[in-house]
Amino acid sequence: MPRRFITAEDVRRSGGEIVVDAETVVTPQALEAAAAAGVAIRQAGGQPYAEPVPDRGPDAALATSHLPHLPEPNSDLSGMTGVVVTVVGRNRPGVLAEITTTLAGANADVRDISQRTLPDYFHLVLTVALQSGSEFESFKQCMECMGGQDDYVVRVMHERVFRFMHRI
Amino acid sequence: MPFTDEEILETVRMIELETLDIRTTTLGISLFDCADPDLESSAEKVYAKIVHHAKDLVRIADSIAADYGVPIVNKRIAVTPISMVAAASGSHDLVPFARAMDAAAKEVGVDFIGGFSAYVHKGFTRSDDALFDSIPAALAETDRVCASVSLATSRAGINMDAVARFSDVILDTAARTAADGGLGCAKLVCFSNPVEDNPFVAGAHIGPGEGETVLNVGVSGPGVVRSALARLGPDADLLAVAETIKRTAFKITRMGELVGREAAKRLGTAFGIVDVSLAPTPAIGDSVADILELIGVDRTGAPGTTAALALLTDAVKKGGAMASSSVGGLSGAFIPVSEDQGMIDAVRLGALSLAKLEAMTAVCSVGLDMIAVPGDTPAATLTGMIADELAIGMVNHKTTAVRVIPVPGKGAGETVEWGGLLGTAIVQDPGKFSCAVLHRRGGRIPAPIQSYRN
Repeated sequence: MPRRFITAEDVRRSGGEIVVDAETVVTPQALEAAAAAGVAIRQAGGQPYAEPVPDRGPDAALATSHLPHLPEPNSDLSGMTGVVVTVVGRNRPGVLAEITTTLAGANADVRDISQRTLPDYFHLVLTVALQSGSEFESFKQCMECMGGQDDYVVRVMHERVFRFMHRI
Repeated sequence: MPFTDEEILETVRMIELETLDIRTTTLGISLFDCADPDLESSAEKVYAKIVHHAKDLVRIADSIAADYGVPIVNKRIAVTPISMVAAASGSHDLVPFARAMDAAAKEVGVDFIGGFSAYVHKGFTRSDDALFDSIPAALAETDRVCASVSLATSRAGINMDAVARFSDVILDTAARTAADGGLGCAKLVCFSNPVEDNPFVAGAHIGPGEGETVLNVGVSGPGVVRSALARLGPDADLLAVAETIKRTAFKITRMGELVGREAAKRLGTAFGIVDVSLAPTPAIGDSVADILELIGVDRTGAPGTTAALALLTDAVKKGGAMASSSVGGLSGAFIPVSEDQGMIDAVRLGALSLAKLEAMTAVCSVGLDMIAVPGDTPAATLTGMIADELAIGMVNHKTTAVRVIPVPGKGAGETVEWGGLLGTAIVQDPGKFSCAVLHRRGGRIPAPIQSYRN
């Protein structure tokens, strides 16, 4: 069985060189002790030690194959990322145009739209589809910096949130 | 099928106005492979393994919060009970393990790490003995380490020797953290029937039945349930109340399920459980007491409170069980007195007594939680309080816990401010009558009979 850890004590007991397995974690104290004592820590292939990718255990390996099979509410946006954009603020001419222009600029396809207005205020709910491969995070940032404190506020959320909450 | 405006605005309202959040994503890490005959080497391994596995936890939780727009308030770590890991070292001073855990928690940026723990419901190993002796110094010296012990189970009974020792541990911890109002005790809890996958501190740890690493999620949302009941109004009957809570709990739990699946996937680990608990905070409206009052009692603690809490806890569990096949942990309603503004008010007004709180714990998910008592409370009285609470858990086959804080220098009725999530407490009076003989007797209260359940 491969060694799980190399500690400072292991370094002190070593004879000048330590060869570690691919999964071995060398503690920070051991690295310090090795540097101080001039002990080389290297992998079996001769490369210097580098922290391995965490081995999350046998369950994790199974989970990566099981997780995608857990049923979840269907999306009708196959291959695309669904996003719900809500906008609330003071009503004025051109608000909808501003929002949709920015959406078009982000190559977002509007699938559903609804707007209500009160005398001074409006709220707008848009369901849009992002092309697969486009960055959700940059889209969110781009949308949420629109408007302003006395104008309107944009909120962008992943459509999967609504699917989980409102569909079985 | 497209979402209706009502559905979309309901979700947005829950998050923006009703403080719906994921209370914690807790990464469980098994430390069994960190055992070593050399104490220092073992502590080194503990530090290295926690950092190795958890270094991406905060970044990943934050990225999920950003992507899905659901706040993830806390990121935490739960580890194997340290007494099991430390046994091989043979050391009697286990504080180095607490230091290693604390340093690792700070390195990876989590707010708490649970698992400075021992299972002693039947008896003590040498290592458990060492852990008990190390708890006060460990909690006084570290900032983020939480300790928990199992003192009773329905199968083993109550280890009253352990309860008596735990009372001394509480008093010693309070004395060592006297400058902070005995705050060390807020990171210390004892259990009857502890769950092995609890993601909430102070009781978070990963039991011996768990895997190498596992991601557990705790959802919250008293504010959401409260708003739903406020909209329902006072004229609806109790079946409608239960149904409203159940539907709301379903929606809250679905968020936990989504975040749990996604966090596990991004971390590359197994998804453990969603703990569906209504966990209050001192924020206005984020209160379990408010929910009980909306169900129909003037103040929490009034007659009817236990019944209202039973309805609430059960409806939360039913909604949660429908929403996720991985419901676990404590799952129910928490009633941490100092952390819930409605409870604090109820104590201040004299509506909520310790006796009523004890009765309430018979039907909710935890126990006497975040309760301040006078600093000069004798160990025997603490033993009695703990034993009473553990007996409720033992007999009813449920988890109960005690997190009680003797506040040095304070007497009954005085106020203590811990600040932040821990809130404000009014010191409660455990009464002047003692149970010194019960305390001194020691031994074990035998497990209840498992048949003849009528």
